[in-house]
Amino acid sequence: MKPPCIIIGGGLSGLAAAIRLARYIPGIVLLEQHTRLGGLNSYYYRNNTLLETGLHAITNYAEPGDKRAPLNRLLRQLKIPRKNLTFHQQITSEIIFAGKQRLLFSNDFVLLQEEIADKFPDSIDAFFDLLNFLDQFDPFAPAPFRSAKAFLLERLADPLLVDMLLCPLMYYGSSVENDMDLSQFAIMFQAIYREGFFRPHGTIRDFLTLLSDHFLSLGGEIRRGAKVTTIIQEGKRAIGVELESGEILESDFILSTIGHQETRTILGQQPVDNEPNRLGFVESIFQLPVESIPLLPRDRTVMFYSENFPFSYNQPVNLVDCRSGVICLPHNFDQITPEKTIEVRSTHLASYSNWQAIRADRLAYDKAKKQVRQQSLSVIEKYLGKFRDNIVYEDTFTPITIERYTAKRHGAIYGSPIKIKDGNIGYDNLYLAGTDQGFLGIVGSMLSGVSIVNQHILPRI
Amino acid sequence: MTNDEIKDLILEIIEDIDDEADFDNLNPDEPLRDQLDLDSMDFLDIVMELRKRHQLQIPEEDYPQLATLNSCVNYLEPLLKNA
Ligand SMILES: Cc1cc2nc3c(=O)[nH]c(=O)nc-3n(C[C@H](O)[C@H](O)[C@H](O)COP(=O)(O)OP(=O)(O)OC[C@H]3O[C@@H](n4cnc5c(N)ncnc54)[C@H](O)[C@@H]3O)c2cc1C
Repeated sequence: MKPPCIIIGGGLSGLAAAIRLARYIPGIVLLEQHTRLGGLNSYYYRNNTLLETGLHAITNYAEPGDKRAPLNRLLRQLKIPRKNLTFHQQITSEIIFAGKQRLLFSNDFVLLQEEIADKFPDSIDAFFDLLNFLDQFDPFAPAPFRSAKAFLLERLADPLLVDMLLCPLMYYGSSVENDMDLSQFAIMFQAIYREGFFRPHGTIRDFLTLLSDHFLSLGGEIRRGAKVTTIIQEGKRAIGVELESGEILESDFILSTIGHQETRTILGQQPVDNEPNRLGFVESIFQLPVESIPLLPRDRTVMFYSENFPFSYNQPVNLVDCRSGVICLPHNFDQITPEKTIEVRSTHLASYSNWQAIRADRLAYDKAKKQVRQQSLSVIEKYLGKFRDNIVYEDTFTPITIERYTAKRHGAIYGSPIKIKDGNIGYDNLYLAGTDQGFLGIVGSMLSGVSIVNQHILPRI
Repeated sequence: MTNDEIKDLILEIIEDIDDEADFDNLNPDEPLRDQLDLDSMDFLDIVMELRKRHQLQIPEEDYPQLATLNSCVNYLEPLLKNA
């Protein structure tokens, strides 16, 4: 039977879109090139343990009763009862601008307000005005790019406060260098400061299994190792897809979650001209025995630091820029009891082209990975305390790794700086969801999948 | 289906979307969305459930006719006459 809709990409946006469709339409097919689902948010096995590729903390925490909260709306749309899930909330997170100032925040928004009142007393009134502004502002209304940075500088007047507030929001959700779109700022402000961080119980593998089982139970079909090489088209209609194996699958609708340029490539189109730099990241994982817990802070979940002010969020000139970064302690969520090992994770900005230049030379590439990891370790120990003697396993992934496993152009986690907010890429029955539609992160990408399906496919299929 | 059956069908669908929905003070002439705190995403579920359960294809331009409980009944009555 010809599937009514094919979804390209088994990352979180593709899985969410697939479930949403399968709730009402039988025979939905999800195609994933990799042997494993999850895309950017997947897992692998090393040192006899499961390591997650991309889960620090999920944004948008909400209490079960809060019907309008994005998290609960998402679960409702997917028909996953909230009571089937156990969530662990963060303890406290911190923004540290070395030698300048520190700000704490948690899932209780009052903490951040108090911190700002205490440390930036001259800006607190302006901060409350900002909150009023954000309450009225509709970040989903279509609008051209507007600089959040310029807007905040004008409102809050204090450039240090502006950079400190932007740092976590950029790291967890900006595909644009040194700035973010005001709408994206409003979305991320809500997601991180007003709502906050949590983790589902277990690992990302459990979460992915829950999603894929749900999709299968609704009658969907998942094909792994199914790389789409061509989208077959007739004028403005997509007829079907061709897989690497040569197999052709026809379909009435196609939803691509692999990125805009990546989709253009399999449509046989030229890349979009003049795309600004894509942002690359390097992630290191340090695994420690559980006995090392007392060496590390007990009450910090995520730490966002910058050693330079103004904060720079751009493609570095070197392989990596450790002058700023994100440090995550995934065991520091409420009610998590690690069994044998714990992890320290670090994220820094990285240059795809510099990694690309050395990738062919395996030895140089591996050496660079190691050096970059050492560099990261030296910086993050300043904030965590010394733990290097306890490391039992360590690993680093670069933009090259991410490109290899997810086929994301330049291994850019947040995709293209240019977003296609309505998911419309000029076809009658082919749409774009996921990272390049514009909603970023785990909850964001899932909402992207759901909303593009709702907007373009469900009413017409 | 009788009008009452259609009403029950709509309420049953809404209850399925949100098991905490409170129908006690529902005014059948006021928009369902405002009263039950439904958003446009939830609203689409009503349309899709009607399609799944009764093979009704409701065109997008008719969605506004499903705004209140009574308007649902008026709109659906001829369509579900033989259901
Ligand atoms: C190191 C790291 C840390 C992160 N930390 C967090 C965090 O703490 N919190 C958070 O909320 N988010 C985090 N993220 C971001 C989050 O993972 C992503 O925003 C989200 O997973 C994006 O999902 P997506 O479905 O849009 O894209 P993807 O995950 O990229 O999904 C696309 C899928 O398509 C597949 N594909 C590509 N080409 C083809 C093809 N031709 N045929 C078939 N399949 C194809 C890919 O293999 C992939 O599975 C992190 C990401 C990384 C890498």
